[in-house]
Amino acid sequence: MTERNWHSHRDAKNARLSSALSLLDGKFAKTKDVVKVLETLIKPGDKVVLEGDNQKQASFLSAALTKVDPEKVHDLHMIMSSISRPEHLDIFDLGVASKMDFSFAGPQSTRVSQMIADGTMKVGDIHTYLELFGRLFIDLIPNVVLVAADKVDREGNLYTGFNTEETPTIVEAAAFHDGIVIVQANEVVDKLPRIDIPSGWVDVVIPADKPYQLEPLFTRDPQAITELQILMGMMAIRGIYEKHHVQTLNHGVGFNTSAIELLLPTYGEQLGLKGKICRNWELNPTPTLIPAIESGWVDSIHSFGGEVGMEKYIAARPDIFFVGKDGTMRSNRALGQVAGQYACDMFVGSTLQIDQWGNSSTVTHGRLSGFGGAPNMGSNPTGRRHSTPAWQSLKPDDDPLAKGQKLVVQMVQTFGSNKKPVFVDHLDAEEVRKEAKLANVPIMIYSEDTTHIVTEEGIAYLYKTDSMEERKAAIEAIAGVTPVGLRSDPKEVKKLREKGIVALPEDLGVRRQNAKRSLLAAQTMDDIVEWSHGLYNPPAKFRSWS
Amino acid sequence: MKNSFVELKGRQRAFALVDEGTGRELVGPEYDMISPHLEPQKIVPESDDGIILLKGKLDGKNVVVISIEGKFQGGGIGEVSGAKIVAALEKTLEDNKKGIKEYPIIILDTGGVRLQEANYGLLSISEIQNVVIALKKYVPVIGLVPGRVGSFGGMSITSAILSYLITTKKARIALNGPEVIEQEAGVREFDSSDKDLIWDTLGTRQRVATGIADEVVNDDIKAIKEAISKAIDEKKDAHRTEKADFYLSLLDHIDFDKPLNTEEYRKLYAENKTEEHQVPEAVSSDKPGTKSRGRLWFEKLTGIENAKSEYPTVLHAEKDGKEYIAIVPDENNKFPRVRHGEVGLQEGFVVSKIVNQIIEEDKDKEVKRPIVLVVDVPSQAYGYKEELIGIHISLASAAAAYAKARQAGHPVIDFIPGDAVSGGFLAHGLQSNRIIALADKSITIQAMSKASAARITQRTIAELEEATKHVPAMAYDIFNYEKLGALYKLVHDVSSWDANDDAVNEIQKLIDEAIESTKGKPTDLHFRYETPIAVESGRKATNEMRKMVFEQWNK
Amino acid sequence: MEKLHFTYQNTKTIEKFVHVGVVASGDLEVLLYPADETTVDIVTGSDGFKEVWKNVLNRFFDRYSLKGKFIIHDFGATPGVVNLRLTQAMEALNDEE
Repeated sequence: MTERNWHSHRDAKNARLSSALSLLDGKFAKTKDVVKVLETLIKPGDKVVLEGDNQKQASFLSAALTKVDPEKVHDLHMIMSSISRPEHLDIFDLGVASKMDFSFAGPQSTRVSQMIADGTMKVGDIHTYLELFGRLFIDLIPNVVLVAADKVDREGNLYTGFNTEETPTIVEAAAFHDGIVIVQANEVVDKLPRIDIPSGWVDVVIPADKPYQLEPLFTRDPQAITELQILMGMMAIRGIYEKHHVQTLNHGVGFNTSAIELLLPTYGEQLGLKGKICRNWELNPTPTLIPAIESGWVDSIHSFGGEVGMEKYIAARPDIFFVGKDGTMRSNRALGQVAGQYACDMFVGSTLQIDQWGNSSTVTHGRLSGFGGAPNMGSNPTGRRHSTPAWQSLKPDDDPLAKGQKLVVQMVQTFGSNKKPVFVDHLDAEEVRKEAKLANVPIMIYSEDTTHIVTEEGIAYLYKTDSMEERKAAIEAIAGVTPVGLRSDPKEVKKLREKGIVALPEDLGVRRQNAKRSLLAAQTMDDIVEWSHGLYNPPAKFRSWS
Repeated sequence: MKNSFVELKGRQRAFALVDEGTGRELVGPEYDMISPHLEPQKIVPESDDGIILLKGKLDGKNVVVISIEGKFQGGGIGEVSGAKIVAALEKTLEDNKKGIKEYPIIILDTGGVRLQEANYGLLSISEIQNVVIALKKYVPVIGLVPGRVGSFGGMSITSAILSYLITTKKARIALNGPEVIEQEAGVREFDSSDKDLIWDTLGTRQRVATGIADEVVNDDIKAIKEAISKAIDEKKDAHRTEKADFYLSLLDHIDFDKPLNTEEYRKLYAENKTEEHQVPEAVSSDKPGTKSRGRLWFEKLTGIENAKSEYPTVLHAEKDGKEYIAIVPDENNKFPRVRHGEVGLQEGFVVSKIVNQIIEEDKDKEVKRPIVLVVDVPSQAYGYKEELIGIHISLASAAAAYAKARQAGHPVIDFIPGDAVSGGFLAHGLQSNRIIALADKSITIQAMSKASAARITQRTIAELEEATKHVPAMAYDIFNYEKLGALYKLVHDVSSWDANDDAVNEIQKLIDEAIESTKGKPTDLHFRYETPIAVESGRKATNEMRKMVFEQWNK
Repeated sequence: MEKLHFTYQNTKTIEKFVHVGVVASGDLEVLLYPADETTVDIVTGSDGFKEVWKNVLNRFFDRYSLKGKFIIHDFGATPGVVNLRLTQAMEALNDEE
C-alpha cells in the first residue's frame, strides 16, 4: 500500500506555477500577458473567487476572463460576493464558467434571473456575506482567487487601503490552502504606505491597464430626501432610537437612514439626545453622517468598505474612523459583518416587499438580487449576551430565563415609487424560488427577526406581539391602503395603540407639518462639503454648484 | 443649518423676497388658470401654470415679484404663464409711467420655452423681452437666478436683457443645455455627462467672471434680499446688450477651430480691448453666396446680385427708404456652427450694430425708417464655445435692438420665406410688429428640432408628432402657426424658392401695406393679441389671463 | 394621464380656500374650496390607479370629513405623499382658526 500524498494540492499549485514561469518575472507578469496567465493558471472545473465587492471590482481580471479560450478554461465554479459587472455574467454565456455561488447581484439581478431560467448558470447557493466568507474556509475552498490592490511593491506586498473590503479574507482562504492568488494592481511602487497583505500570501501580480472600478455606492444626495422620509425619520428617532436608548447600530443603504443621519444634529439635538443615542457605528462611511460627526454625536465608526470622496475627511478624523498610521482608513467587510451582526444593538434597513406576516425581501419578479449583508445584520444572533439597555429593553418580562433581542427595523413607505404596494399577502420571492429551483425562498429578513416596522403611517412594535394574529394586525395597522392595510380594523388599531404595539405620529409627539426639508442638517451635497470643512470631495456626478 | 432660498418652492420664494405680511398674490391658484394646451397632450397642468405673481414691499419699496416654479415642467414658459408675466410687467410699466415707482423682480428658474407649447413659448418670451426693454427706461429690472434649474433657452436671452442679474453658486446660465448641444452637435462638442465641465463652464462663478451674470450671493434669504434691495437703490444696470463692439473685438481674437477652455477664455475676456466695428451695406459681386431662401429674397427685394458683406452671414441694405436685414448661411464661415444659416455669436452682435446705427441716424427724424427682416433662420448655433462665451447675449443684443427700434417708432416688419426656429427667431424676427409669411410647406417654424425636443421632453418622435396634431403650437409648419393669430398676412400664391418678379412685387406691396398699418398704432406687440384669429382662438387664453391680471392689479 | 371624479357625503364645513403642493415629479397639488357638496376631481399622470385613489380618499375622509370641492393635479405621487398633502391641506385650514 502506497502512502497517501498529503500535499497533492501543493504539488498541483507548484506544477501550475512552473508552467507559467515563462510569463513571470518573479511574481510579476506583464499587463499584456494577462489572458495567457489566466489560461495557464486556471484549470477546468476550478473554484475561482473573482473579487467583486460592493464598491471595488477586479475589473481588469474580470475583463481578461472573458477573453480566455473556453477550450482551455471552462466549467469554472465562480464564487463572488457581488455580481456587478456585465462580464461577471458574460463568462457564463461564453462557457468559461457554469456554476455560481454569490451574495448580491443588485445591478445584474435581471440577467441573473434569466440565466438561471435558461440554464446558462447553475446556482450553488445565495448566501449572506458571512456565510460566503465562512464557506471559503470550509467547503468552498478556492483553487484560484483573482483580487485587486491599489499598490504593490517590488516584493509583492499589497496596499489595499480604504477599499480593503474583503480582499484579505479571500486571499487568506487561498494562500493557506494552496490556492493561487492572482492580483491586479493599479500601481507598482517602491514603497507602500502600509502593508495590508504580505507578499508571502501572493503568487502573481499583474499591473492593470487602468485602475479598478470603484463606485460611490453609499453616497446619498440630501437633495433627494423627501418630506415623507423626514417624517419617518422623526418617528424612528422618537419611537425607536430614543425609546430603546440605542447606542450601537448599523444603518443600511438608502434615503430613509440618510434622513435620520441628517436629523440627528437638528431634531435629535432638540430632543436632547446627543450622547444618549447613536454613538458607535458599523457603517460604510456615508457622507450624510458628516454633520452628526462634526456636531459631536459619534464616538466611533468601523466600515465594511470605503466611499469615494471621503478619503481626506476620514484621514483627518482618526479618533472616529479606523485609520492606519499612514493616514488611510482600513475597511474590512468580514470583520464589519461580524461586528454588525454581533456587536450592534440595532439594524435599520429597507426592502421592496413585506408580506402579511412580516417577512421581507428585495427579490421581486424577474429580479434575483441576493441580499449581501442584510440577512446577517438583520437577524437576531441568539448567542449574544449583551447587557446594553437597547438589547435588554426587548427582553420579555414574564420569563426568568429570557434574554434580550437585537432590534431589527424595517423602514418602508407603504407604496414604492412605482406605486406598487410594498405590503403584500405573499412575497414575489415565493414564486421566484419555484422558477429558479432554489432550496429556500429568498427571504431577506424573516418575520421572527423583525422587531419594528416603520411606515409613513406609524410604527409597529412587532416584538411586543404575542401571537401571529396580533403581529398581522399590527402590520395591517401601518400598511396604509395596500391590500394588507385595507384589512385593518379601526377598533383593533385603537387597542393596539393602547397596548403600545402600534404608534401613530401623534402618539409619538411627531407633528406632520414639522416634517420639512429645512429640518435636515444638510440639504445639498454642497452643505455636506461645508460641514466637512472642505475635506469631503464628492464625486463629479453629484456636483450641482460652481 | 442656514436659511436656504434655493430650497424653497416658487411660491415660497416669492413671499420670501417681500417684507413680512406685505405680499399679495395675483391670479393665485384658486383661479385654477391652467394651460389649455397640456391636457390634450396628456400632461398634468398646474393651477398657476408655474408662475407666481406677487405685489408687495421690499425694504418699504413697492415691488412686483414674478417667480417661475422650476419644479413644474422645468419652469418652461407657455402661453398662460407667459401672458401672466407680460401682463404684470405691462402694468408695472404703466404705473411707473404714471409716476408710481414699482420695481419688478424676476426669479428665473426655467428651461426657457415650454416645449409642449413651443411656439407660444417663443411668442411669450419675445413679449416679455419687449416690456423689459421698455421698463428699463424707468426702473431697473432685477433678475435672480437662484438655481436648481437655472436659466436656459429663450429665458437666458431674457436674462441678458435684464438690468442686473443676481445668482447663487447653485445656478447655471446658458442658451442651450448640454443635452441639446450633445444631441445637435455630438458628444465631442459637449459631453452632457461631464458634470465638472458643465459646472465649470455654465456655473455662475465662471459666468460672473465673464460678464454673463453680475453677482454671486450666498444661498441665504437675507443675503439675497439685501443684494436685490441694494441693486434697486443703486439703479444697477449691466448694459449687457450694448456691448457689441466689445464682443466683436473678442471674437476677432478667437480661433474657432481650436479648443478653448474656461481659464483661457477668462483671460481673453479680461484682456480684451474694445475696438469700433463698422458694418457696411451688402454689395453685388460675381460669386454667388451659399444658397438659401433668405439670401434669394434679400437679393430680389434689394436688387443686389450675389450680395456680399464684410460679415458674410449678415446682409443689410437700404432700398426705397426701407432697411432690409437678412441672416444667411455661409458654407465656409470661420465659425463652424453657423454654416447653415444659424444665428451665432457674430450674427447677433452684427445685427445689433446695424439696427442701433439706424436708430441713431433717425433719432431726430419724425418718420422713422422701416426695418424689414428677411427671416430664414434654421436655429441658433449649437456649440461649446458659443455657450462658453454666451451666445445668448448675442441673440439678446439683436432682439433688444429690434425692440428698441420698434419702440422708437420704426416699423419693424418680418418677411418669412424660410425657417423661423427657436433662438434664431427670437433674435431675428420675433420683435417685429407685423409678420408676413409664405404659405410654403418647406418652412419650419418651431422652438427646437424634433430630435432634441423629444429628448428633452422624454417622448419619442412619434409621440411628439402625435401631440402636434392636437396642439397647433407644437406643430412645425406655417399653416398651424397661422392658428396662433400672430401673423399679419399668410401669402398663399408665392412659394419660398420661386422669387419671380410678380412674386417680388406682391411681397413688396404687402410689406408697404404692413408698414402703413403701423402708422398711428402703438409700438408694442399687442397686434398679436388683437387679430381676429388671436381673439377667436389663437390667444384666447392670453387675453383671459391679461384681463385677470389687470382686474386684480389694484385691489 | 387620467381624469377621475369622486363624490362624498362629508359633514365638516370649511371657511376658506387652501392650496398645498406643486405639480413636481412624484408630487401633487391640492386645491380645496368651500362648497355645499364634496367633490374630488383628479387629473393624474399615472393611469390605472382609480381604486388606490378611492382607498386613499376613503381613509382620509373617514378621519377628516371635510366638506368642499377638491381639485387635485397629480404628477405621480405615491399614496403616502397624497395622504401627506391632504393632511397638510387639512392642517392649513386649521392654521388660522
